[in-house]
Amino acid sequence: MTQATRIVGHSVPRMDAPGKVTGTALYAADFALPGMLYGKVLRSREPHARLVRVDTSRAARLPGVRAVITATDVPDVRYGGSVKDERVFARERIRFAGQPLAAVAATSLDAATAALAAIEVVATPLAPVLDVAAALSPAAPLVHEAWASYTALPILHRAGNVCNRARIVVGDVERGFVEADRIFENRFTTSSVHQGYTEPRAAVAQWDSSGLVTVWSNTQLPFEIQTTLAEILQMPPSKVRIIVPGIGGGFGGKLRIGMEHFAALLAMKTGRPVKVMTSSEEELTAAYARQPAIVEVKTGVTNDGRLTAREARLWFDTGAFAGSGPGVASVATLMLAGPYRIPNLLLEGFAVYTNKTNFGSFRAPSGPQANFAVESQMDIIADALGVDPLELRLKNIVREGEEGPTGQVLTAVGLEECLRRAADAIGWQDRRPEAGRGKGIACGWWTTTGGSSGVYIKVNPDGTIALNTGAAEIGTAALTGAAQVLAEDLGVQLTDINVVSADTLSTPFDFGAQGSRTAFAVGNACRAAVADLKRQILALASKHLGVEEHALTLREGSVAGEGKRATLAELARISQASGGGLIAHGTFVAPPTAYDAKRVEGHVYPAFHSPSFHAHAVDLSVDAQTGEVTIHRYVVAQDVGFAVNPSAIEGQIEGGVAQGLGQALSEEIVYDNGRVLNANLTDYKMPTALDVPRVESILVQHPSLVGPFGAKGVGEPPNIEPPAAIANAVASAAGVRITSLPITPEKVALALRARAT
Amino acid sequence: MFFNYYEPTSLREAIELGARFGGDGRFLAGGTDLMVQIHRGRLDPRHVISLQRVPGLEAIEADGTISIGARVTHRRLERAPDFQGALRGLIEGAEVVGGHQVRNVATVGGNIVNASPAADVVVVLLALDARLTCLGPAGERTLALDGFATAPGATALGPDELLSRASFPRLAPRSATAFLKAGRRRAMEISIVCAAARLTLDADLERCRDVRVALGAVGPTVMRARAAERYLEGRPLTDGALRDAGQIAAAECRPIGDVRASARYRALLVATLVPRVLARCLERVRLQSS
Amino acid sequence: MTRIPLSLIINGQTHEVLAEPHRTLLDVLRTDLGLVGTKENCLEAECGVCTVLVEGAAVNACILLAAQCQGRAIVTIEGLAAPGQLHPLQQAFIDHGAVQCGYCIPGMLLAAKAYLDESPEPNENGVREALAGNLCRCTGYQRIIEAVLSAARVLRASPTPASPETAS
Repeated sequence: MTQATRIVGHSVPRMDAPGKVTGTALYAADFALPGMLYGKVLRSREPHARLVRVDTSRAARLPGVRAVITATDVPDVRYGGSVKDERVFARERIRFAGQPLAAVAATSLDAATAALAAIEVVATPLAPVLDVAAALSPAAPLVHEAWASYTALPILHRAGNVCNRARIVVGDVERGFVEADRIFENRFTTSSVHQGYTEPRAAVAQWDSSGLVTVWSNTQLPFEIQTTLAEILQMPPSKVRIIVPGIGGGFGGKLRIGMEHFAALLAMKTGRPVKVMTSSEEELTAAYARQPAIVEVKTGVTNDGRLTAREARLWFDTGAFAGSGPGVASVATLMLAGPYRIPNLLLEGFAVYTNKTNFGSFRAPSGPQANFAVESQMDIIADALGVDPLELRLKNIVREGEEGPTGQVLTAVGLEECLRRAADAIGWQDRRPEAGRGKGIACGWWTTTGGSSGVYIKVNPDGTIALNTGAAEIGTAALTGAAQVLAEDLGVQLTDINVVSADTLSTPFDFGAQGSRTAFAVGNACRAAVADLKRQILALASKHLGVEEHALTLREGSVAGEGKRATLAELARISQASGGGLIAHGTFVAPPTAYDAKRVEGHVYPAFHSPSFHAHAVDLSVDAQTGEVTIHRYVVAQDVGFAVNPSAIEGQIEGGVAQGLGQALSEEIVYDNGRVLNANLTDYKMPTALDVPRVESILVQHPSLVGPFGAKGVGEPPNIEPPAAIANAVASAAGVRITSLPITPEKVALALRARAT
Repeated sequence: MFFNYYEPTSLREAIELGARFGGDGRFLAGGTDLMVQIHRGRLDPRHVISLQRVPGLEAIEADGTISIGARVTHRRLERAPDFQGALRGLIEGAEVVGGHQVRNVATVGGNIVNASPAADVVVVLLALDARLTCLGPAGERTLALDGFATAPGATALGPDELLSRASFPRLAPRSATAFLKAGRRRAMEISIVCAAARLTLDADLERCRDVRVALGAVGPTVMRARAAERYLEGRPLTDGALRDAGQIAAAECRPIGDVRASARYRALLVATLVPRVLARCLERVRLQSS
Repeated sequence: MTRIPLSLIINGQTHEVLAEPHRTLLDVLRTDLGLVGTKENCLEAECGVCTVLVEGAAVNACILLAAQCQGRAIVTIEGLAAPGQLHPLQQAFIDHGAVQCGYCIPGMLLAAKAYLDESPEPNENGVREALAGNLCRCTGYQRIIEAVLSAARVLRASPTPASPETAS
């Protein structure tokens, strides 16, 4: 697999590691400017209220306070990706506990904190819509009374508290259920979980004399923030510049606008740079955590284990604003089908408004919730039919050339290999090695999100290369991967490349670090740029050496032919002196994936592009008295298409599983009457080094037709299967089936007690 | 959030400052409770009195009566050679608190005075019948640890008093200690339930001569499972007896449900951890005696 | 609020600072001294990104008052190795792919250093336990642990002479 390539396919060390291990790499949270003020946001305590008055007069007079702003200081703009229902500050109506009401800028954080305490808020509490059930009940108050007047994507199906209903219909499920010998109906619920990045969201904003605002922030999507902020400020996007110095983890929680608008507005008001950062409490109450979900799955199966029909619904509590909800509800329908051949489908994903924070996108949005449900049910079915859960899956998984649920043709389907190798590695033939111990398996699929990327590359006079990309490096080593592709194609060393990234003014457009797309898209853009650059190099070398282009070869930093040679450095110097330099650009956008539009409604994401396939297997024991789970082994087999950097990919898998295990076993944002009870890291329990087992990664490679060297997106998938794999293993080990996340020791212990009585 | 800071260099000076500021002042030991409470806005002292230069609070003495100075850190406790044997329960209680960073600074005294019902080391000290020496302007007094905490976060310590050490008698022969905790993850965990025991066996190594069972996080303060203790005294310690003791302890504890666990699960954990911690003591006594 | 003069010894150098008594060491390091290698996050001693060494022991700078640190040798990530050089731990983290977003890494490295200083022959469980106070969300800890075990082997083979910065 790697013999033919010098750099791609090898586990080369990531390029930014030295800065990170010396503490010299700068993150947005570290960024500071001379004369900078500190900003803080006042947030509502009420989950639902009529906002009567926000009195900032006392706060504004406190020492050190330079500005206090509320809704009256901001253009009356509603923004939002799919539905324009959001405002910077609440105006007349408070819709979640944690909603911004005001912001202050002061000469110190202490002064800003004191100012927040001095702001008087008069609000009349209203009965909050606490959850999906409440929101969908007949007499439910509307979270957005004026929902029908909001601008929204035309494709969405909106009604009252439902801000989208996405649907897939294939065949006829009623007929499919008639065909079935047995029908299984199960219900599952999942909690909200936070991305848990260790770097808070942060933004520093500064205006210049031309009316351009620069914001340094740890956003994953600088170009989207540019657009959103321009919309909020009612300015042309060209007057907004977003720069990403560095990001300490994102996982989707840093996609949408975070602190940038507060910083920009405060900086505008004060005429000074302003820095705004979130606290742990703000992250756990007012950030873009994963939507809680209710999933109902009804599946028909023949006695010999063939799936005939599935009718499934997934309701996301999307919180007070639509945000990512409509899109996540769409993706959910593809995950409810899973990578299976099911001829009759009725699958619906709902995004429902409630009076909670507007949840967002978290690594494989909708994936863990939907996969937990359908993969748990597969084991329930296997158990009832008396068949091996692995065999049940192998019997029904899609194969090369078959259709996905929306009619797309599936290629590079590595799922069977993933299942067999994961099962093999875990020792599947001995599924219950001893009392209280069992093994579980789960599989799934995921997308490599599209969207375009552009890069510039130039050759420096010493022969090194500058790679200029609009993508932000969020920690996945995606930019190292893209640079590997560049180095491979150009015939240089990885250490010859310097990366400049994520500045909306000076770097080309990039759709952003989301959807596992960065190495894929930026890598391909680099390939296009290298093709352009090679043409320039050969043309120049030909002229300089007096050799025809077709007789010249570019290899290892030199162009040679007919006994003559010129190094890249020489050519770069010649070009710089006489031609303006060797500079190339490349762009890439994945070709759209064909699907059957008649099968979908309200659907924002109707096909998976260059899909990946994966299987997780786990071996664990359950303490029958305390319900505690001890994981002995955890195996992941993931079809990555082509492993650009095996070590980096394994790192993504190890981290993704750790994060997934948190969701499976210990993490949940607990709400009580619309307020978060555990808004701190003492009681929001992320796995520590003592909690995470070793993860064994098997990189399966069924090359994509589109990705660079056949690569597929790899970052999100490892988050998908852990909850289902754990649930299935716990069922195998202890004989109890837990249908809600997280699978806490308490739930297991009480289920065991209930079974015994 | 603003406060004045003092670094007294003697016990007398520390006590004087404590008396002067009363409820407006707080002693600062490791800061792992105080600083977090201040950060969360639950405490807002005007004066913070650091104890880090006050001598006389850091000794571990183990000849005869065992004494642990209030400023002994969890780290020192878990490494103390004197506690490697029959007093191992103390180490077990100390080594599961927070991570290394917390244990390097968090003190035994701070833990006792913080009076969390879940405090791990305090539960072990309770099983050891610890007594506390408190220093005030009027002099020194000793109080039993049992009953020292009066409610979550409240103790019998006077507003002008300083806890100087915890002491307990040396163990009788054929004794051992153990500690167990339950949580949702394996580190950085405030106990959902924790249990400690000190067991002393008869010469036959079968029968319980004397026992203490202490529980954390199942009542407003750390507590003794006295009914379970009475049940066990004089009884041969079969598996069945240990199990029954667990049930009795579960019935006498008073857990609440909160964001960490339900009351029912906590009671269930008591019924599980008490037999296990006793079994561990039993094993240790027998091993020591062989 | 009156500021008090503080003399802080950081990485072998003395810094004179004027700060209000309630200011934490973390805040003074990052805001007053521009030493942003030590990171901030939870500010409640739960995540470990702010880990520094005080007299060789790993502690959370977010709950330590700057005023408590007078005269005590503090080491931050900037002082782990001399400029232009890498401590074996840092090299091992690079070589073993232990770094992803990197935000937890300075704290992780210092916690690891403190641990290896007292336990030069660690096993995997010992390393996990020693790093349990440092949350990492990206790596799943696996390669961090491998890097620490590897660095321990390197240090046993050729011990790093204590630099003035790291001598406690």
